[in-house]
Amino acid sequence: MSLPLQLVLGPLLYFWPREQVMNFYAEASSWPLQRLYLGEVVCSRRQQLRTQDWIALAADIAATGKQAVLSTQALLESESDLKRLRKLIDNGAALVEANDAGAVHLLQQRGLPFVAGPYLNIYNSDTLRLYRRLGAQRWVPPVEMPGDTVRLIAVANPDIETEVFAWGRLPLALSSRCFTARHYQLNKDDCQFRCLEHPDGLTLATRESQDFLAINGIQTMSAGCHSLLDEIAQLPARGVQALRISPQNQHLAAVVQAFAAAIAGEQPVADLSALAPGPLVNGYWHGEAGIVLKEAAHARA
Amino acid sequence: MPVPELKVPATLARVLGKLPATPPVWGMVRMLNLLAARGILPVDHGLLAGRQFCIRVLDAGISLHFASDGSRFVASHADTPPDLLLAADLADFARLMLREEDPDTLFFNRRLRIEGDTELGLTVKNLLDSVDWQHTPLARFMAV
Amino acid sequence: MPLPELVCPAGSLPSLKAAVDNGADCVYFGLKNDTNARNFAGLNFDDKTASEGIRYARAKGVKTLLAINTFAQQADSARWQRAVDEAAGLGVDAVILADFGLLDYASRRYPQLRLHLSVQGSASNYEAVNLAQQLFGVQRAVLPRVLTLAQVEQVIANTNVEIEVFGFGSLCVMAEGRCLLSSYATGQSPNTHGVCSPARFVRWEEGAHGMDARLNGILIDRYAPEEPSGYPTLCKGRFEVEGSTGYALEEPTSLNVLPLLPELLRIGVAAIKVEGRQRSPAYVAQVTRVLRQALDKAAQGGQYADPLAMATLGKLSEGQQVTLGAYNRPWK
Repeated sequence: MSLPLQLVLGPLLYFWPREQVMNFYAEASSWPLQRLYLGEVVCSRRQQLRTQDWIALAADIAATGKQAVLSTQALLESESDLKRLRKLIDNGAALVEANDAGAVHLLQQRGLPFVAGPYLNIYNSDTLRLYRRLGAQRWVPPVEMPGDTVRLIAVANPDIETEVFAWGRLPLALSSRCFTARHYQLNKDDCQFRCLEHPDGLTLATRESQDFLAINGIQTMSAGCHSLLDEIAQLPARGVQALRISPQNQHLAAVVQAFAAAIAGEQPVADLSALAPGPLVNGYWHGEAGIVLKEAAHARA
Repeated sequence: MPVPELKVPATLARVLGKLPATPPVWGMVRMLNLLAARGILPVDHGLLAGRQFCIRVLDAGISLHFASDGSRFVASHADTPPDLLLAADLADFARLMLREEDPDTLFFNRRLRIEGDTELGLTVKNLLDSVDWQHTPLARFMAV
Repeated sequence: MPLPELVCPAGSLPSLKAAVDNGADCVYFGLKNDTNARNFAGLNFDDKTASEGIRYARAKGVKTLLAINTFAQQADSARWQRAVDEAAGLGVDAVILADFGLLDYASRRYPQLRLHLSVQGSASNYEAVNLAQQLFGVQRAVLPRVLTLAQVEQVIANTNVEIEVFGFGSLCVMAEGRCLLSSYATGQSPNTHGVCSPARFVRWEEGAHGMDARLNGILIDRYAPEEPSGYPTLCKGRFEVEGSTGYALEEPTSLNVLPLLPELLRIGVAAIKVEGRQRSPAYVAQVTRVLRQALDKAAQGGQYADPLAMATLGKLSEGQQVTLGAYNRPWK
């Protein structure tokens, strides 16, 4: 039996060369996805695609019959950040995912609907209802939120769609400091775009060689790859309507196929760990440390 | 009146270390319970019940073992493994108690050693910080 | 030109009194639960100590601010509303909130209660600050420690909301309210539990290679004997990246804006905040005294960052290092 779940592609969090980005989305537009999020969420210095290019790409994807959503930068600091934000919001066609309260302000002033992104810190129903009043149609809970809490909030708010982060290295923190530049002993303003060399981020290990985090410019991610594939059958009952797959350098087509097959009710793929950029984790969903991997409650054949 | 840079002389420490630690720990436990009874030490024994403590005065070679029995502090045997060990020289303990030095500063400088249950250590540190000496005769000795 | 208010931390009644006695204009504190971002055992205020603290501060003309700056957790969100009720009942001069739902509650239920947007509210630009003003009538916003001085100035120029910035204390290198590193390792974060790298998960182990600091079993740092140590905050540990080991994210260090005081006065910040509700009365007294003198001297065009002041603050700093943080972008 198939599950009432949409499968969507989250925004690209890494810095890839323009050609790779274009090829990636050309391919992704043929995958079994209902929606693709586009745009630079992490770093204002990443300009392989400029705001106008992302808007054009969104139009191309919309033309293939899939929904394209433009995601805003999550940490907005300078006037030029706000200038790009206004341009993105005034794109005239695509829905916008707001990842900062500043973006919400501009959207609300223009009377535009939006997606409340995972960086907005919606931890309770009161906050969600407030964003609903301001124009949010869909929300993405903070990645650290346990499944039980997602259920409490989602079930109490049936008039807004709930979409959860279901696959990928977890975006954990933002800073004004660039850790990739710091690693190469470069100034942020002269970072030489070294993020281009690390299409899945730069793994940070403990002094006992345990892969722990991943550096992605100003963003810190988990080294582990969060996966809700094993939990997929319980997600509709948790009020979840859409699963977000986060772009990665390799094997993403296979990951999307695996999720799509599970949604279609087919026997799940035995093991996705070979497709993951790091060790599989899912602790957050189970109310534990995010780095933990809990075995699925149901017995696997 | 800052605490002077003094160390307990090694010869004295050797003697002190050989003396039974029971009388000093009795005195300390009695004083702690008195402070708690007067509401000066805002201790919540619920947080400390059954936990074993050791205060080690490094330069004096003295170790004071005590515990919370859930309603008051009691002396313990020296061979009881502590849940929390606090170790420093006498002068640094004095600076800590008189609020001349911040425990974090001493800890960062490795002048205060905290071993065992870190949360218990934090609870005890916060307990000492929350003592309001203002209404006690000790107030005039305090740096803060 | 009015001087910025000096806003000092109090984790206990003696700290509050130390701040008041040493020249704070405002003291901020939290309740004994997870509604505030320094939820540590034995720290913070109950009704009795809060009332006494407020009385003490008010008698000396010092304002009191209550921080309720974690995010209300759905399963028990009434507790956060009760904290706001309690603040209103206590008669504090303002509450410091981060959660938009809670700000909404406070502004509707207590229209007279002055609201500050906490640093945990992550407002790093004037559009975000102005949204909080429009929705909740927020009168002051505390900016995350990620902005340059020019960016702070830009915010001030584009809002009527008073702007408060951090002046001294342990440095958070991540944008506040947007860091989940702690829950990734332990399940508890500042947003959800009011803790970062919580003590109950910390283990110090003396071993052959020195002292290991672990957080929930994860090795955060390893110190050689005699090497100054720090609290094992995740972002200040030493890690390995591409074969080189070091402080990959941030050194143990504290922010100190003393050298920038005249600039902060010029751009018109309304308040300067000292971090450290988890620190002792001794710390609060010393930092408050130094910053009070420096502010007064800077206002008169005097020597505000003299070597003694810098040395005093340096000694109280994590790793005994200080930085100007993002204000002058040493890493830019």
